[in-house]
Amino acid sequence: MQHRRQRGALRLAVLLASGIAGLALLGQQANPAAKAVPAALAPDGALTIGAVIALTGNANLYGQDQRLGIDLARRWSLSQSPQRPLRLQLEDGGSDEATAIAGFNLLINQGALALIGPTLSQQAFAADPIAQRRGVPVVAPSNTAKGIPQIGHFISRVSAQSSVIAPLSIAEALRRDPAIQRVAVIYAQDDAYSTAETLIFQKALTARRLPPVTVQRVQLADNDFQIPITAALQLQPQLVVISVQAVAGGNLIRQLRELGYRGQIVVGNGLNTPNIYPICQRWCDGILIAQAYSPELDTPINRSFQRLYQGVRPGQPPSQIAAQAFAAYQVLFEAVQRLQRRGGLAGISLGQAREALMAELLGGQYDTPLGPIHFTPDGEVVQGRFYVAQVRMDPGGRSGRFALIRNATAPAASPPER
Amino acid sequence: MIDNGLLVQMLIGALLGVSVYLPLAAGQLSLATPAFYAVGGTLAALLSTTWPALGAGADGSFPLASFLLELLLGGLLAGVLALLVGRLVLRLQGIYLAIATIALVEIVRVAILNLPFTGGAIGIFGIPQPFPTAAGYLLPALGLLALAGWVCQRLEVMPLGRAMAAIRNDELAARCMGIDTTRVKLTAFVLSAVLAGSTGALAAHFLNTWNARQGSFDTAVTMLAFVILGGSRSWLGPVLGGLLLTALPELLRPVGDVRLVLFGLVILLGPSVFPQGLINPGLLERLGRLGERAEREPQP
Repeated sequence: MQHRRQRGALRLAVLLASGIAGLALLGQQANPAAKAVPAALAPDGALTIGAVIALTGNANLYGQDQRLGIDLARRWSLSQSPQRPLRLQLEDGGSDEATAIAGFNLLINQGALALIGPTLSQQAFAADPIAQRRGVPVVAPSNTAKGIPQIGHFISRVSAQSSVIAPLSIAEALRRDPAIQRVAVIYAQDDAYSTAETLIFQKALTARRLPPVTVQRVQLADNDFQIPITAALQLQPQLVVISVQAVAGGNLIRQLRELGYRGQIVVGNGLNTPNIYPICQRWCDGILIAQAYSPELDTPINRSFQRLYQGVRPGQPPSQIAAQAFAAYQVLFEAVQRLQRRGGLAGISLGQAREALMAELLGGQYDTPLGPIHFTPDGEVVQGRFYVAQVRMDPGGRSGRFALIRNATAPAASPPER
Repeated sequence: MIDNGLLVQMLIGALLGVSVYLPLAAGQLSLATPAFYAVGGTLAALLSTTWPALGAGADGSFPLASFLLELLLGGLLAGVLALLVGRLVLRLQGIYLAIATIALVEIVRVAILNLPFTGGAIGIFGIPQPFPTAAGYLLPALGLLALAGWVCQRLEVMPLGRAMAAIRNDELAARCMGIDTTRVKLTAFVLSAVLAGSTGALAAHFLNTWNARQGSFDTAVTMLAFVILGGSRSWLGPVLGGLLLTALPELLRPVGDVRLVLFGLVILLGPSVFPQGLINPGLLERLGRLGERAEREPQP
């Protein structure tokens, strides 16, 4: 019996091994980069823009907004009578590295001209090198960590780094209350975004001679923050600066208020989504946040964006995440159209088209819902305008808005990386 | 269709499944695999990005020999750690051992998150590549799996493997028969850790980046699902479970937003339809008998 079982296992192992070998052979598909780009008027003349967005996992709160933003940009682009139609292919990038890699591979193998995504910086560090090696342009809509454009020539982003934006909200809090002496800092220590951002906040505080009286660390998956809050409140802070992601942040602010804190609260980009309102409700009221996007910016493109957005979510102002996703698709769309107009897409292979598009993308100026933007030669976004907003909740405490309170002009250029 | 990148991920899943299977073959429910996986991965990420002697190129290339050396070192470090930890935790049994190993996973995760040289939450990125494409990783991953499979297959007829089976069936009886149960359990635990450590080193290069989230409790649950769906009575069970469950979410992409719902249904229904897993002793026996019947049939 034992003998038979052994033989059976051996046979099954051989079967599995040949199955894997077969899959490996089948997976060695021809690289689509060698294929020619079809003519614009051909029936298959549409070029594919791939998007890998977190629709599942704990980053899906951002992914849903990004999906909407990209889709609105696609609808907007159709109204621009494009000379070269684009087709959007959206794939779930999950909230982990492996799924983002799988999504990138899938879209690149299917011949996507350029990619939008992934949602998280950690995913970008895993997936972007693949696009770089295969020469596919990537526009990141929401990666703000240091070093993303430096992954390679083909990697760019429309999301300004937190080092540029974050200190503006601290400046606003101090403008409102110059007597602030005691600042408490709270951040999620297991989150790449929050740990990077809190360092920037702390640097900005120290630069104003306000070193934090306490720095409390929390975890992203926490929902009970009584211990760090109590520890912080014992030191009687006059300002609390928070860097965590949306779900934890909503709960943290609520508990901070419930435990009796009355002072000002400055939050980071993780809370830059209206999705926090249902979580912290009326306790959200009054928090300060610096943003890369303001719904109240009065430009034609932002009005178009708002109109489209209102069609889908009536009565809600769009979030920064959605606006940045819109901008990511918009810059790709405009770069492709410019290239098409100059005849730059005629008679070349997909691989060459990807290269040409990258050069065109970095060379252009774009008027987006975020305001006018362009890129540095290594793909970092240069954004002219930033905004400081305050959350104003409705009396019912179920919905609210980011009310623009200050228009900040960015430093002449983004400070260099590192 | 399954591209080579996904196939490598599937093989990594299969390797981790075998790593969970090994202690289970000696009756020990250990969830420590992600901890050793994280140790191996972190070691490879650190060595390849900070130790110039390994020969990482400025263009992000990496010599194959250094990569293989890392697989070896990753496995070795994880094995040594398992030897130290195993002496302590293997005194526990059943659910208590499971909880102790979960604690180990947490300790390693928090340590990697907070150590000054592991990059904090962002982790270590820009890990150099020994191969120009994902297909290059197929060979080392397959080689590692073949090695693990060969060891497992040999174990079935070796005294060590027999002793493991005896402990799984009844630890007390096994001890009464004169089996040094502590040594046998520790050996299985260390073998599992070595495999997980090497797999981690391979995965770190494949993923281009490494951070503390790679070895978390969630990963442990996923790996356990590989074994439960595939079957825990043969090493082929976790291999098949790892291959299938890693591929499934990707293969289900065409169905759109409900793909993870379907994935969950498979995990839910799989064990209820196949309580012993997809690969069970009965199936193996039928497979082993296939030829015999055919040989006998011609004779009346």
